[in-house]
Amino acid sequence: MAEKTVIDVQHVCKTYFMEGGTSQSVLKDINFQIKSGEFVAIMGPSGSGKSTLMNILGCLDKPTSGKYILEGYDIASKDDKELAVIRGKTIGFVFQNFNLMMKRTIADNVSLPLIYQKVGETERYNRAVEMLKKVNLIGYQDRPPSQISGGMQQRVAIARALINNPAIIFADEPTGNLDSKTSDEIMELFTFLNKQGITIVLVTHEDDVADYATRMIKISDGHKVYDGLRKEYSKEKEIKC
Amino acid sequence: MLTAIIKEAWISIASYKLRTFLTMLGIMIGVAAVVMMVSAGQAVQNRITDTFASMGSNLILIGPAELVTGGVRGGRGLPSVTVADVAALKTLKDVETTSYLMNAAVQAVYGSRNYGVSVKGTNPDYLAVNNWEIEDGIMFTEKDVRAAKPYAVIGQTVVDELFGLQNPIGKTIRLKGKPFTVIGTLREKGDGLMGDDQDNIILMPSTTVRQRLAGSPRPQYTGMAFVKATSEDKMELVAKRVEYMLRTRHRLKDGVKNDFTVRLMTEMVEKVRSVGFVLSALLAAIASISLIVGSIGIMNMMLVSVTERTREIGTRKALGAPNSWIMMQFLAESVLISFIGSFVGMVFGIAFSQLGGHLFGYEVPISIWSVIVSVTVAVVVGIVSGLMPALKAMRLNPIDALRYQ
Ligand SMILES: Nc1ncnc2c1ncn2[C@@H]1O[C@H](COP(=O)(O)OP(=O)(O)OP(=O)(O)O)[C@@H](O)[C@H]1O
Ligand SMILES: [Mg+2]
Repeated sequence: MAEKTVIDVQHVCKTYFMEGGTSQSVLKDINFQIKSGEFVAIMGPSGSGKSTLMNILGCLDKPTSGKYILEGYDIASKDDKELAVIRGKTIGFVFQNFNLMMKRTIADNVSLPLIYQKVGETERYNRAVEMLKKVNLIGYQDRPPSQISGGMQQRVAIARALINNPAIIFADEPTGNLDSKTSDEIMELFTFLNKQGITIVLVTHEDDVADYATRMIKISDGHKVYDGLRKEYSKEKEIKC
Repeated sequence: MLTAIIKEAWISIASYKLRTFLTMLGIMIGVAAVVMMVSAGQAVQNRITDTFASMGSNLILIGPAELVTGGVRGGRGLPSVTVADVAALKTLKDVETTSYLMNAAVQAVYGSRNYGVSVKGTNPDYLAVNNWEIEDGIMFTEKDVRAAKPYAVIGQTVVDELFGLQNPIGKTIRLKGKPFTVIGTLREKGDGLMGDDQDNIILMPSTTVRQRLAGSPRPQYTGMAFVKATSEDKMELVAKRVEYMLRTRHRLKDGVKNDFTVRLMTEMVEKVRSVGFVLSALLAAIASISLIVGSIGIMNMMLVSVTERTREIGTRKALGAPNSWIMMQFLAESVLISFIGSFVGMVFGIAFSQLGGHLFGYEVPISIWSVIVSVTVAVVVGIVSGLMPALKAMRLNPIDALRYQ
């Protein structure tokens, strides 16, 4: 099946310039493509640059050099306003610590991205209820997130990521704050969504979590050291550099 | 879009009730203070205007020339306008009546009581010119003036001080040892501009004052003459005619200065009003210091709020919020706070100034100014104090904002 390429990373480097003139090179010449419908786990030791890569993929940051093409758009040429539109329409974010607004209702949280698409209040609410059904949280719309468990909160965050019907979901350690049982529930939800055609890219430390993915990209010290099927991965296949 | 922003802003500030209320309180106090000061200023100005109106506003006052020596004003010259001049001025077009005064301050005695009063020698038209009314009895006539009859028409203060509950009409009072018959009393007028008692007055024919009370060396001259125009818009014109006629009658050659002064009551009202306006503006300016403090309070709260909600801002941006939206939301929060604060402050300000007016016996107008000032202040303060925090929120880098713990 010839799926179209949704993510095209070419020679991407990222260097952080700190106050005082020092700089830190975090990503070094990263190259890969992701096709529509893939389920990719990005792995690597702490501090290797996974979050930095995710921020670039999620259009929250731009590479220092190299090219990033998302759904045919060259991200380097877009200004802040255009990037906001891309984030709002084609990308769904899931964060490690959920990032829900605790003083608002679950429905308000789920429908938040729709405000920026100028969707009316009633429609926002209805679509939030609809999305909550999809993540198995029927009836929770009018409660505040503080009344539900961490796993449920992450499902609310996933519903929020889904509400704009995004082509891709980026999740940076979505199970990092959850126990293994709830992690499995969340990963099953991601698998379910992936089967419906949504491209999923997630960062994780845990092998169990990565096992839900079909493809794995491993980063070490800013270099890509493995890129292939998750089930074929072994330590020996890593590229030495 | 705008309603969505305002709604989001409202929900945000409503979720920090105490903090929002305390911040609003600062603006409330500021606006209430400004409104009260503006109202107080207006009340005083209105009181001034009313007092002038009670003196007759179509009035033109003619007095002695001002002495100018070496460019410095130096008091008044000798009276130059005669009783005959005043009579002649009455024939001018658009003049309703004319009058004049000869003043004397003397001790009035009745029985065992005595009181210091201001005696004004004048003609019967003085009543019409100065908006006086007779309460009881009658006013003296032109005939009485020609005959220099010893008649007195007395003000209410004089009635109270000399006669108490007795009827003064027909009684004889003594001034400088000479007897005068009370033929009428004047209706009460109340305090004048400087808090002087306008009712402490005795009116007499000018001739009577001249012959019996004043030892004036130039008896045919008036201290002050009045010309009442038929209407306010005719005053300038009448003043010109008066000046022309007096110059002609006094045989002043071209280039020679007037030996009298002509002033319009309306001009004087205007002058006093403008002083009053400056005064109330000053009061409002002092009150607005509390407004500045209030707006600093808003800025402070919004800055704390932006820092506290850094992660919320990062999340919103990641989920597609444009920078402009973030800025507008925070701006809307501060404008809402100051708007509501100003509105409540305005209501309290009006209520308190009405109450104060009631207590001090002043008519306090509910001025459109209070509303204009409050609304302007609300928007300006909200924007000014909210702008810096809003820009700070807008400039937050989403990555840093999401990393922030
Ligand atoms: N905004 C930044 N400014 C400066 N340095 C940064 C910034 N973000 C990350 N870094 C540095 O870049 C390196 C990579 O960070 P990054 O967060 O991408 O690692 P990571 O692989 O996600 O690690 P972890 O598994 O702990 O989340 C780290 O050394 C970090 O200190
Ligand atoms: Mg990370």
